[in-house]
Amino acid sequence: MAKRKGSMLADIAGEDCKLEMTPMIDVTFLLLIFFMCTLKFKTLEGKLSAFLPKDVGVNQSEAEPKEKIEIRMDVKNPGNRVRPGAGNVAYTAQDEAERKRYVYDSSRVITFSVGAKKTTDLEEVRKTLTNFYAQDKTRPATIDPRAGIITSDVVELLDVALDVGFTDITFVGSYEK
Amino acid sequence: MNLQKHDSKTEMEMDMTPMIDVVFLLIIFFMVITDLSQQDLEDLQLPMAEHAVPDKPKSDEWRPILNVKHTGVMIQKRTTYFDPELNTGPRKYDELKNQLLAISNRMKKAPFAPGSSTMIPDEPLLIRADESTNFKFVQDIMEQCGDKNISIWKLQLAVSVPEQ
Repeated sequence: MAKRKGSMLADIAGEDCKLEMTPMIDVTFLLLIFFMCTLKFKTLEGKLSAFLPKDVGVNQSEAEPKEKIEIRMDVKNPGNRVRPGAGNVAYTAQDEAERKRYVYDSSRVITFSVGAKKTTDLEEVRKTLTNFYAQDKTRPATIDPRAGIITSDVVELLDVALDVGFTDITFVGSYEK
Repeated sequence: MNLQKHDSKTEMEMDMTPMIDVVFLLIIFFMVITDLSQQDLEDLQLPMAEHAVPDKPKSDEWRPILNVKHTGVMIQKRTTYFDPELNTGPRKYDELKNQLLAISNRMKKAPFAPGSSTMIPDEPLLIRADESTNFKFVQDIMEQCGDKNISIWKLQLAVSVPEQ
């Protein structure tokens, strides 16, 4: 029996029958590329946590509320609207009518008021916040964005505040009234 | 006993048709799957943040995501709930408010304060706002969230993380 099997294998080997690998490799590459694309897409996003004032109804918390660090954001210079991408191509009325995307150029300046201190430099804000955080690590902070502030301005500030160590960050709204 | 079924001199050709069938099937399958999983996420340019927590949602987990385009158009699961050009007047946020109320009702609840009998939602709402979105629109969402029937107070802002 064993002899019979051996000779059979020898027969097959003698036939010189090769498995066609090309389509297999094609499919494998296809799958590989697909998974590479999707993985990249999913790791791209992150999130920043913040809170809203919890003052629904009567405030029943008995603890003495801590004094909050108020950070107010105002637009000093809105900057120019340009088309996304390189070259600072001006954003036209036509683009606006078509609801195309725009970004602000580097001339945009935001004033940050941390308590009584006003600055347009985010690194200055980082220093001030680091000082406050060193004094009290549980102190809450509030962000108060005023008229004209866009999401990326707020995210920049929130990013700095979270990096310094603040965890209790609340948005307070004057809602541009 | 003749075990040799093929003549050794004839060339063996592989039938490619089932292979191509399977490949197309896989492509279609993955296209459908990705489309379903991306339904929540609009095509937006998110603001950059260096210290963001990477977003790794569990596939079976329900979580509310509200997309805000640069124009202020608010979309959840491909449905528009607010468009500044179409929704005007004092009741312009009614559609959004109803949707937020539905979201709020689906969220897990926790006491407002330790020992309090008032229950409020304890899950975050993920706001995916475009980097050029006027923050006024996000604040308007926050204002709606603060409604006493909705009272969503945990928020997350979606950002893009710089590539390493």
